[in-house]
Amino acid sequence: MRRLSPQLPCCLLLILSALLGACRDPVVTTYRTAKEASTETTPPVLAAAAAPATSGTDAAMANTAVATATGAGLTWTAPAHWVAKPASAMRKATFTLTGHDGTTADLAITAFPGDVGGELANLNRWRGQLSLPPITDAEVVSAITRYEYNSLGIAVVDLAGPDANPPTRMLGAIVPVGSATWFFKLTGPDALVAAEKPAFLAFLQTVKAP
Amino acid sequence: MLKIFRPFLDTFVSIKLTVVLIAFSIILVFAATLDQVNLGIWGIQQKWFRTFFVYQDFRGILVPIFPGGYTIGGLLLINLIAAHIRRFKLELKKLGLLLTHFGLIILLVGELLSGIWQEDFYLRLDQGETKNYAESHLHNELAIIDTTDANFDQVVAIPEALLARRGSIQHPKLPFLVTTKAYYPNASLFMREPGGPPSLATTGIGLRAVAAPRPITYKQNENNLPAAYIEFTGSETPPGIFLVSTALGSSQSFQYGGRTWSISLRPQRLYKPFSLTLLKFSHDRYAGTEIPKNFSSRLRLNTTDDQNGREVLVYMNNPLRHAGLTFYQAGFENNDRTTVLQVVRNPSWLLPYVACSLISLGLLGQFGIHLFAFIAKRRRTTAAFAT
Repeated sequence: MRRLSPQLPCCLLLILSALLGACRDPVVTTYRTAKEASTETTPPVLAAAAAPATSGTDAAMANTAVATATGAGLTWTAPAHWVAKPASAMRKATFTLTGHDGTTADLAITAFPGDVGGELANLNRWRGQLSLPPITDAEVVSAITRYEYNSLGIAVVDLAGPDANPPTRMLGAIVPVGSATWFFKLTGPDALVAAEKPAFLAFLQTVKAP
Repeated sequence: MLKIFRPFLDTFVSIKLTVVLIAFSIILVFAATLDQVNLGIWGIQQKWFRTFFVYQDFRGILVPIFPGGYTIGGLLLINLIAAHIRRFKLELKKLGLLLTHFGLIILLVGELLSGIWQEDFYLRLDQGETKNYAESHLHNELAIIDTTDANFDQVVAIPEALLARRGSIQHPKLPFLVTTKAYYPNASLFMREPGGPPSLATTGIGLRAVAAPRPITYKQNENNLPAAYIEFTGSETPPGIFLVSTALGSSQSFQYGGRTWSISLRPQRLYKPFSLTLLKFSHDRYAGTEIPKNFSSRLRLNTTDDQNGREVLVYMNNPLRHAGLTFYQAGFENNDRTTVLQVVRNPSWLLPYVACSLISLGLLGQFGIHLFAFIAKRRRTTAAFAT
């Protein structure tokens, strides 16, 4: 038998040390950066997906991790007077609507995988946010207005929260797209949301799948 | 001494080991492909390939069930190198084989180096926005920022992996001790209901919200939203326990030691001494249809030695390469107003190209040598019959 080359153990050691080098330990880093506007003292808020919920089950479904960032999204054309805000990790888009009296309403567009519990769960989650009692499966039919625009089935609800001061109103649209569900939620003072309802419904007509 | 190890070393140069390892590789790739349904592409890379052993959870106990990619790849590499060292002979007719095997070695080493060095980040830019950092989509960090100075922020970033160890961290740049009271790799946040269970938090948003742990998701179209309860204690009146989560919309602030501090759990950031501004994102469609034709981002690259910056166009298959980073057009959001660029740092990115070129050259050479030898032999046989 031939003698083994002495280089072999050296090679083994080198390779083993390289393999062990793969086990990196996390370390604390420090650095100095230019001031950033987003780190200012804005009061912390729960992101759109972690909105108040009436029941744990509904909220858990609503809080399922954000999705479809890498997939194809919906497109739309917003009215000129709606002001687009920068996108965030939780929202696909945000618009601020301002009334003549200076009041503002917020339109949040989010998307989640699956059906996020279905129409009833989402409708009751939204009702809970306005302190409205939940409805039953049988009442869903009358609570939802259905539209079909650009081959997309859109379920629209109009909810009013009379107990709030000033009274709050919410227009919500649920749009199943492939294996995901998109939500368009306009929330704000009753008078402003009521005035913007025609624009909101016209906006939904521009929503298109890629 | 070498005699003791000889049987052990003989095993490393054995062709039987090669066959067994290749068979293991096939099983590994097949099983990992099936497991991709459960764990997604990132999950299987960590569970099956970038590990020495594949572990399976049996009632809370991790049991190694199969050698991982590092073990099989490492042994294949050792086997290949050892066999060449023992059997090496420089012959022209084996030059192709040598080149092919050398290419294979580079391919294996390249994958190992990619596993060690490669880092993936994402850069989200709204139209007109400028950023000098990219964000990880896999790793998060607890950013503790001293925001007292009017011009700059002093950042101490604690990786999520350290929070997961639930220990205490005393950093020289911080006047307080940072202790993880609870950590959840994926959690939902709920508003606390009146009469609901008490929150671990003693200050901040945690007084109004609670975190409920959820199973870790490995799906490609979902993100984990980690949360933690972090306590800040020191010689002064302690600021208390904060709830932090990547699901929170913004940071939380407190005063300590006469300075203002801001804390947030956020995607890990990679800062660079240059910045990118999104001038315009274009989503071109074929005329008269909604079929996408091209996605492109017109950016301005601002560097310290170029005050005006230079414009660059990033589109599919045309990334920007700058300062060891590659910026690919990865996606878009916000109704075509936001571009998403994938930022990759991989110093060994060229190795697979070199390896594949060598393997192709080696195979062409080896088969060429055999072909010419065969043709020459056939000619000689034909000539012999003719005479």
